This record gives sequence, C-alpha cells and structure tokens, in this order.
Amino acid sequence: MSLKKTQLYQYHKEHGRLIEFAGFEMPVWFEGIIPEHNAVRNAVGIFDTSHMGRMRAEGPDAERFLNYIVTNDVSALEPGRGLYTVMCNERGGIVDDLIIYKLTPERFFVVYNASNREKDFNWFMRHSEGFDVELHDVSDEIAMIAVQGPKALRTLEKISSRPLSDVDRFQIVETRLSGVEAMAARTGYTGEDGFEVFIFDATPERPEKALQVWNALLEAGEEFGIKPCGLGARDSLRLEAGLCLYGNDIDENINPLEARLRWVVKFKKPQGFIGREALLRIREEGVKRLRVGIMMEERGIPRKGYEIWDGEGKEKIGVVTSGGYSPTLNVGIAMGYVPREYRKIGTPVRINIRGRLARGKIVKFHPFYDETKYGWRRVEA
Amino acid sequence: MSEEYEVPEGLYYTEEHEWLKVLDDGNVLMGITDYAQKQLHEIVYVELPEVGKDVERMDAIGTVESVKAVSDVYSPISGTIVEVNEALLDSPELLNEDPYGEGWIAKMKPRNLDADLKELMTAEEYKKHIEALHH
Repeated sequence: MSLKKTQLYQYHKEHGRLIEFAGFEMPVWFEGIIPEHNAVRNAVGIFDTSHMGRMRAEGPDAERFLNYIVTNDVSALEPGRGLYTVMCNERGGIVDDLIIYKLTPERFFVVYNASNREKDFNWFMRHSEGFDVELHDVSDEIAMIAVQGPKALRTLEKISSRPLSDVDRFQIVETRLSGVEAMAARTGYTGEDGFEVFIFDATPERPEKALQVWNALLEAGEEFGIKPCGLGARDSLRLEAGLCLYGNDIDENINPLEARLRWVVKFKKPQGFIGREALLRIREEGVKRLRVGIMMEERGIPRKGYEIWDGEGKEKIGVVTSGGYSPTLNVGIAMGYVPREYRKIGTPVRINIRGRLARGKIVKFHPFYDETKYGWRRVEA
Repeated sequence: MSEEYEVPEGLYYTEEHEWLKVLDDGNVLMGITDYAQKQLHEIVYVELPEVGKDVERMDAIGTVESVKAVSDVYSPISGTIVEVNEALLDSPELLNEDPYGEGWIAKMKPRNLDADLKELMTAEEYKKHIEALHH
C-alpha cells in the first residue's frame, strides 16, 4: 500500500525525517524534537496537520444532527465559534474526539483525527439518516497548518489581511493569508496560544497555495526564531499539556467520564445524544478507573504500554497510555488509567521500566507544566 | 534528507551498530556508532552495565533512549566489564556529539578476543551494511 501525502509533502521530503503515521508519510522532525518543542513553548512553531479529517455539514438539520452525534452542546454555539467534544458509541465508548465550528446557523465545519478519517465519516453518514443535512468530506481539498506558541499571533498577523488579536479562543474567522483565501481558528494541540489555519483550494495535486502560506509563515516568524515542527514535537507538546491522543489515551473501550472529559458531556441537552443512557448508567455506578498524570522521581522514561504499580511495588494497578520525556520539565512524564483510590495528587506509584520498578507520583497533568510560566493562560510580560 | 555516517577505520562493528576498539593493554572500548546515534537522534537517557559483570557476546548490556525510542546496547564480545563511562549518566548527549570518543560506553576485558573479532565487521564491511539498510 502506498502512503498518502499531504499538500506540504515536497517541503517535508526536502527538509524533514519522514515516518508513516495514520497512512500518511509525515515528518517526525526537521531539526529535532527538543529544539522544535522548545520553539513552540518559547516562541513559535508551525505544523502541517493536513492529514487530519475535515468535513462540512450543511443544511437545516445540521445543528440538530451534530448535537445528536456528539456529547457537548452544539446548540450553545454562536456563529463563528467552535467547541471541543467527543462522540460516543451506544456503550459510551469514545468513537473520536473532535472540534466543531459553527460558521453560520446552517453551516458547520468539523475537524477530527487523521487515524479516524474513514471511520468517522462513515459514522457520520450512517447516523445522518432522517436528518436534512449534507455531509462533505473536504479533508483533501483544504490544507491545514497549526501556528503555535506565544509568538504565533504576531507571526500570523503579519501575513493576515485582518487583525487577529481580537479573535477569542475557539473563535474562527475568515481571512486572507499572504493573499490566499483561508480560515483561522484560535485553537491548537500544544497547550500554547496559537491558531489552526485552513487553506482553501489546496489539494495534494495542487499544493501551491498551501506551500505559499507555509513559506510565508516561516519568513514572517523568522524574527522570533520560528521552526517547522514534526509529529514528534506535536506529541511531546500535547503530552505536557495533558491532552488526549486518540488510540492511546482514549478509544472505543474508554468512556469520557473515566477519561476526565466529563466537562464535554452535557447530559441535560433536551434532545439526547448517542451513548447518553450508557453514560448515565456509568455515572450512577461510579467510574472504576480514572486518567491520571504521573511524573517520574527516578531516572527513566515511561512509555505507552508500561505497567503502573502501586507505591510499594506490590501489585500492578494500571497501564501507561502515553508517556515520554518532557523537554520543558526535563523528566519522564506519563498519562494512564488507575483505580480511583490512586487518583490523589502526591500518591506514590511505580512504573515498570523494563523490569525495574521506578518511582513516580501522581501529579497535576492538565497541564503538567506551571501555567504561570508556559501555556496560553500565561500573562505576557 | 540525505545523511552521511562516520565510520572510522581500524574499529570493529556489529550488525546492531556497536563499535569496538582494541586498546594497547589488550582491553577493548565499545560504544554505539554514528549511524546508531543518528537513527535514535536526541539521546536523553542511558542505562550502563555493572562494572565487574561477565557477559557473553551479543548480550544486552545497557539501553540508550532518545525522545522517541528505546534501543538495547549489545556487547560486541564476551568478557568482563571493567569500566563504564559514567559521564553519560548526566550528559547522554555525548553519545550524539562524539559517539566514537567521549561517548564511549564501556571498557571490557575480553575472554576470547581473536575468535570474537572474526564475527565482527571491518569499517568497509560495516559501511556496506548500513548502505544496504537504506536501499
């Protein structure tokens, strides 16, 4: 099977180290994961996220349809605003996590995971029966670039036809980027301030507009030390921010309550939604395990699949779902699921690192880092 | 992105990308090759073997971890670990910066050096080995 390529493949091939991800040939790094990671935490970096799934949902029932599919309340959105949500199966398991933007009362734009492109679109199609809504998979027609970091706003504004400082988090606006028609949303997957931009009329066969914006961003951000970033830094940044990766931290056998995504489940939506009854039952019975953050207190890097043990090293209590080296904290960090009684911050745990039970503890993990020093909430000095 | 790999003459190499250097006193130094460190990239953590330990040829004697991956380090020969490079514990990046010099991993006292050397590759052979991995 040959791998798919994004609109920016030519750049990646010339400048990056390529790997396979979700059926795409993507850059894992350009210069290195650590310098790219640090560029985003301290200044600005750009990521090609054109491999992600994107869909338009249009029609009189578009809002009612989406509200039935996902757990969060789409009807609460004003035009020009978006929200983070999950969608569940009938058992309450997470089919995917996604962002939904309301462009106009009858036009919505949906962004979902690259690894779930086909599964999700089929899921949407299957459940759209009886709704007056048209669904269009536009994943290959629109390029997507994430501009992330404390200097993302200033970088993007330099090539934008409209000012962007008035754009709120999860707001989406139309603009022209170095003359190219686009949308910019104040969202991201790094914990930092920044934008995800959507470039219209840019297919893998006609990548000129995507390349033009990519190169314009690199030039605009040069004064701030901008770096092109690969999937490696994307993963280490989202891990430090405590954000879930589908397939690791959430999947169809994990429900949003144990994943600590209760805040995106709106039980009181009058219409109901797929998975509501199962989730109500789970809430009634109480969740048995919870997603937690772990920081190592000994040398060693926890990785996906490693066992989590209790603090005395007597028994296995869970499994690491995402883990790695944190460049910002210079220590191994992880997320995983453990029984409720271990959820408290400060609880000692062990990680089985190739046979050695290395010491760690449960920590605040959304995000792992100090929010007065890093992340979008920090006040610019 | 094309890359060049440094493969010094006079060293011996394993298929798993360790190098071995025979010292004047009959002991050997070993480490991982330039190719290995470039594949791993950004090494952030090293586990070293115990001094005094007896190992067989191609035993896993340590691990090297980069941001992205974990890799075992294999002993190129049978023998005893007589010294390890403890500087790597605090400065694992030495493996990236100077894999054949300051990034050495262990000094060993060989048990059966002549026979073991026959199992290892010369610089010429190792160059062909890594070329083959890329075609």
